[in-house]
Amino acid sequence: MKFGASTFIWASPFSNQTLDLIDKAKNFGFDIIEICVEDPATIDTAAIRPRLEKAGIAATVCGAFGPDRDLSSDDQAIRENGIAYVERCADIAAELGANIVVGPMYSAVGRTRMAEPAERRAQRRLAADSIRRAADHAGKLGVRLGIEPLNRFETDLINTVDQALVLLDDIGRNNVGLLLDTFHMNIEEKDIPAALRRAEGRIFEFHACSSDRGTPGEDHLPWAEIVKALGETGYEDAVVIEAFTPEIKEIARAVSIWRPLATSQDDLAQNGLNFLKKAFA
Amino acid sequence: MFKYSYDALVYYGEDIATSIDRVSRYGYDAIELVGEPDAFDGAQIRRLAGDAGIGVSSVCSIFTGAERDFTNKSASNRQKALDYTNRVADFAAASGAPIIIVAPSPVGKMAPESDPAQEWDWAVEGIQKAADYAASQNVKLCIEAWNRYETHFLNRIPQCMDLMRDVGRPNVGVMGDTFHMNIDDPDIAGAVRDAGEAMIHIHFADSNRAAPGQGHTDFRPVMQALKDVGYQGHITFELLPAGSDPFATLRRGGGREFYDDYTRQAIEVIKQIEATL
Repeated sequence: MKFGASTFIWASPFSNQTLDLIDKAKNFGFDIIEICVEDPATIDTAAIRPRLEKAGIAATVCGAFGPDRDLSSDDQAIRENGIAYVERCADIAAELGANIVVGPMYSAVGRTRMAEPAERRAQRRLAADSIRRAADHAGKLGVRLGIEPLNRFETDLINTVDQALVLLDDIGRNNVGLLLDTFHMNIEEKDIPAALRRAEGRIFEFHACSSDRGTPGEDHLPWAEIVKALGETGYEDAVVIEAFTPEIKEIARAVSIWRPLATSQDDLAQNGLNFLKKAFA
Repeated sequence: MFKYSYDALVYYGEDIATSIDRVSRYGYDAIELVGEPDAFDGAQIRRLAGDAGIGVSSVCSIFTGAERDFTNKSASNRQKALDYTNRVADFAAASGAPIIIVAPSPVGKMAPESDPAQEWDWAVEGIQKAADYAASQNVKLCIEAWNRYETHFLNRIPQCMDLMRDVGRPNVGVMGDTFHMNIDDPDIAGAVRDAGEAMIHIHFADSNRAAPGQGHTDFRPVMQALKDVGYQGHITFELLPAGSDPFATLRRGGGREFYDDYTRQAIEVIKQIEATL
């Protein structure tokens, strides 16, 4: 496995003011830094790439999906904006030497209107059509897309692995797979290891997060069984810690974090990495 | 031997006599009532429950909106929150329930509207007054935390304990809910042990809020902790359909499994675990 740290642990939005995070992640012992693209305008790939190479750390790219970038919106202009954003994230990935863009790219985070089943199917078709177009653009660059199910409080469209597998079938592209995040799986999956096994061959990235989004390992998740199940699927790619700094109010509110979940974000990253390296050894 | 109760909240819009009959039929000791005092007749419920051979464990107060917000910036709304809680206490006394749930900030209020320290003080003051009135009716209050997506105010049992200590009334304790705790308390059984005898009420639901057995919560250590701390209350199942608004599902006729199927399954699964303690 390769271990990664999300820039959301410390910063929002990522920009040239936070390039130091690249060295920080490397110094903690991470193999990967996940660059979060809230605003493509703040991502200066010409400045980032040399820092990555100098530090000797790889990158992945994570998208952020608000209401103006809803790939399954009823409004075509918003869908087009969402597709253009994912395509731009794929460009950024290629420019950084990264091979994946991940995120809940099927809808806007926070869109939880409890759609009727027929309405939900129609929305899923819109999402599939949009993601297919972005995937074809990404494919030309050698970039893959990882779709992330979210818990019920963040979306009503894709909460579980099984729902995500249906969406993947609708999309029908080999360069589209799943990003699975244990924080969301803790709320929605009946049996997390079993859900991982059902996703065999389709897992493109893994977020190893604690049940409260604090420090992985200082929680109640069945880590030994999760590690075993993931191993059985043959997955041996990125294991990324995603957490959010409570110090930046906008991002903290967006993900409903109202209190510090660790003694410090540095402690969260370092202790979490130490735990995961042991757990996956 | 634990005592068991089922929260009528998920029997959305159902006649209370039907709910009491179902809960009694599946072997529960009691029912938890929905805290809408204007919609029910407490004395009649006490009779119906008595005839069915069960008790009323508790009242699940419904803290929604500005007028049920102890932390509201408007003094008149804070007074309304107190008036509401007092009416729930009356309803509890009439129906025979010894405990009502209290939440200081309403569901869906996701940011403070005043200085957080001021909101805390208002919460303390409001719950003190509610507690003093409830004491006159021989009713206890338990403070509930909800997960991070439902409130910014209290998400974890230790926060409830802090508020309880500041309130400082003998008839005020805390409660847990295993659905919320699965998200925000990283050690559910540990939180129960730490709360000890202050935990006077608990809601059980599996990790996905369905009946125990439908998700991945390990109830055995939680029950062992309850046993070890000498928990005297009811284990009350508060189950709700998946979704940010479970009541939207219920309103359109969904979630039928939460009536007979889960009412039966919840107590069966948990009693099997109890037998192994």
